[in-house]
Amino acid sequence: MTVEVRPLGDKCNIKCRYCYQEGIRTAGNVPKRYDLDAIMATLDRLAEPFSLFGGEIMMTRRPDLERLMQLGFDRHGGVGMQTNGTLIEELDIELFRKYRVRIGISIDGPGPLNDARWAGSLPATRRATARSEAVIETLCREGMPPNVIVTLNRMNAAPARLGLLCEWIGFLGSLGVRKLRLHLLEQDETEGGEGLALTAQENLAALRQLRRLEQKLPSIQFDIFAEMAAMLRGDDARTSCVFHACDPYATRAVVGVESDGRLGNCGRTNKDGVTHLRASREAFERQLSLYRTPQDNGGCQGCRFFLACKGNCPGTAIGGDWRMRSVDCPVWFGLFEDIETELLASGETVISRSDRRPELEAKMIAAWSIGDNPALHSLLQPAEAP
Amino acid sequence: MTSAWLSWPRPPLAATPREPVVTKAAMQRISFSGPQARALWQPRLERLGATAVAIELEMVRRKQIAATLLWTAYDDIEALTERASTISLHAKPIKASLGYAADWPLEASIGEPKRLLDYAVLIGTVSLDAPMAEPAGDDPVQVAMRFGYPACCARSWADHLRRGGSDPLAAMLGREDKTGIHAHVALAVLGLGPVRHAPCSTDCSATQDRARSFLDLGRELGFVEEIGWLEEIADWPLGASLVNGIAELKTAAFRCTWLSDEGAPRARKAAPALRAERGKAVAIGLGDSDDIIAELGAGCEAVGFENAFAMRSRFSTVVWEQTAALRHAATAVHVGCGDGLLLELIAQTRPKLTLYGTEEDSALAEAARRRLGPLSRVLGGTGGEALAALAGLAPEGIDLAFVDPERLDDGEALAAIRATTRTVIVIGTDRALHRFKDMESLAASMGLVLLPGRAARVSAALSPAMDRLH
Repeated sequence: MTVEVRPLGDKCNIKCRYCYQEGIRTAGNVPKRYDLDAIMATLDRLAEPFSLFGGEIMMTRRPDLERLMQLGFDRHGGVGMQTNGTLIEELDIELFRKYRVRIGISIDGPGPLNDARWAGSLPATRRATARSEAVIETLCREGMPPNVIVTLNRMNAAPARLGLLCEWIGFLGSLGVRKLRLHLLEQDETEGGEGLALTAQENLAALRQLRRLEQKLPSIQFDIFAEMAAMLRGDDARTSCVFHACDPYATRAVVGVESDGRLGNCGRTNKDGVTHLRASREAFERQLSLYRTPQDNGGCQGCRFFLACKGNCPGTAIGGDWRMRSVDCPVWFGLFEDIETELLASGETVISRSDRRPELEAKMIAAWSIGDNPALHSLLQPAEAP
Repeated sequence: MTSAWLSWPRPPLAATPREPVVTKAAMQRISFSGPQARALWQPRLERLGATAVAIELEMVRRKQIAATLLWTAYDDIEALTERASTISLHAKPIKASLGYAADWPLEASIGEPKRLLDYAVLIGTVSLDAPMAEPAGDDPVQVAMRFGYPACCARSWADHLRRGGSDPLAAMLGREDKTGIHAHVALAVLGLGPVRHAPCSTDCSATQDRARSFLDLGRELGFVEEIGWLEEIADWPLGASLVNGIAELKTAAFRCTWLSDEGAPRARKAAPALRAERGKAVAIGLGDSDDIIAELGAGCEAVGFENAFAMRSRFSTVVWEQTAALRHAATAVHVGCGDGLLLELIAQTRPKLTLYGTEEDSALAEAARRRLGPLSRVLGGTGGEALAALAGLAPEGIDLAFVDPERLDDGEALAAIRATTRTVIVIGTDRALHRFKDMESLAASMGLVLLPGRAARVSAALSPAMDRLH
């Protein structure tokens, strides 16, 4: 479980044109104040490692931010932080070092490749991008290389720009960046995001090229490809939330600690401008429905990758309706096919082609029916001898 | 108080509903729209649930309905039976259903499976048997009417059961026309009343009469506040939908969902296809790749960088490191400015700064002028010529000079720069940092002294005492 601390909710200093939180901001559902003691009390109760998140977490008052960092350091030996990096100052670097803050920077590329992460005007956008780039280099030089999250969109991964994106990633590797997370653009129906989404073919082509790049760049890892291979092997111990039967009413992988200390859900599933609180019970209506629903109706029936994919993130569901499978299905399907082929060629067993797939699916459906969500690898274990 | 949920709808029961305890399932899947909504409505919904049970039991006691069906956990059957007996009613468990794993008592073990089940308890004025709640046990229309259905709704529900239906509300949501679904009808799934049977239509007047009777009885029993809340709910605008067998209700206070057998599409099989329609038309202007390469940075090797990304990253870092110096400056020059990228990054941060650049390479100087626009002051010619021209353009001197010392011809060049500028910022290029590892070593190799203070990673101010290269 990832605990995301969000003192200022979705408040942000920039206005990414594709941001999935824009609906919340447009609806005015951004807190103006926060109760740090309540947040810290909730974190105490959860007793889980946490990440500082937003919106933009660096808009938080520095003394308060430092208290949160210190709590993470004292209780868990460090704390994660996801930021666009534009508000980081020299003095913050020492805080990061002192409290072992693991930084993740969201940036889609250098200069013009990051223009979708709009900051109000082109000069402001470029200024913000330059600050993000500066922070990446600075953290690398300080021996604290950040993880980088890149969202693929037309500004950075259109066919004419993809080569540049790959070269830049190579440069990040030379700087010292070791982990890079790739996101597909979440296709909300925001005006600002109009035209930014790549087609499914373009997304697939981009991911395939990036996967080839990963094989050429041993120093940098795109976690998504390794995770997909792990899912096909039936090993879901360390894979991301998108492969874990997410329940948008009570997102298990991501729990938000909001401005007043209450628990919230992952913001990706907020589609109507409302940050709904967690339901009291996790359930798996979505997966049970997808399994039985024909693909023509937005389901996953008959898909051999269902156990590995589970319809993917509900925040990316067709038409913004969490009850449908991910709109990115063709992209994931194509990548799963690629990886499946390679694993089979190297003599590995994959659950998508295993004789045990029907049995595994039946076990998982039975478990979901009673509100349980066992790890896939636990279902693969042979039954203990009596 | 017992943990009991009214069955939804009243019997006769469907043969194989996906969610046997749909009321419990839907209640547990309530997701409030915010802390205020939760603080207000969570306790109210709990009280309304208990109130509905009390009203329903009183209806049985008064023989307005033949019986009612409540679901409860194994551990609560005894308490429910006792509660029924205190008002002279008979309670009898008639069926069980595997509950949700999360609800299982911690101490219950697989060796005691009865404690993992939810039980349907039939409660009537006399001891009753299961068949009276089952559609197969009797004429389902008569059964429905005994449980309080108006005749029109009894016929409708019996027909639906015969067709294999199970979930009256989901069936209603699955219809084309969902307009006018009353909040009391939609939220009946939560088992709060006042609608307790499967209505034949969204505007059934007999259903409205039954709902009024439920509210009246509630008031008579002293649940005045609770009935007031139910009446408030009646006016709520409501969003309701059924997609692939999942029903969802949305109100201003909360949303809830449950899985239904209704509306589940029939099996078909097809492989997902790569669909070209995603992504819509491109509405965003994109320059061609040559433009982008030029924009990222040109001539990087000439100015000491391995590639355009390194140059852009380094110059961005220089601007970031020198934020304070730039904040206090009114004029700045980049000596050997290449294609003008550093000056552009400075201009984006400090647009009111007056900026100058010098560049001996005429092609790069021209690129800098293109990048910086018609008002740019990029001086060509040899270093000496450019600096002389700069002194003429800025007779009062320049606040900041950004300099790669490796690009200077000799010590005299630095002296010339010092003569026209107040602070010199030394920049570490790839070439310099690869050779000297860090700024201190770079400076030391040239006999320069950097200003003391925090460690500079890629740029540093030259000590004012330094007026020439050694």
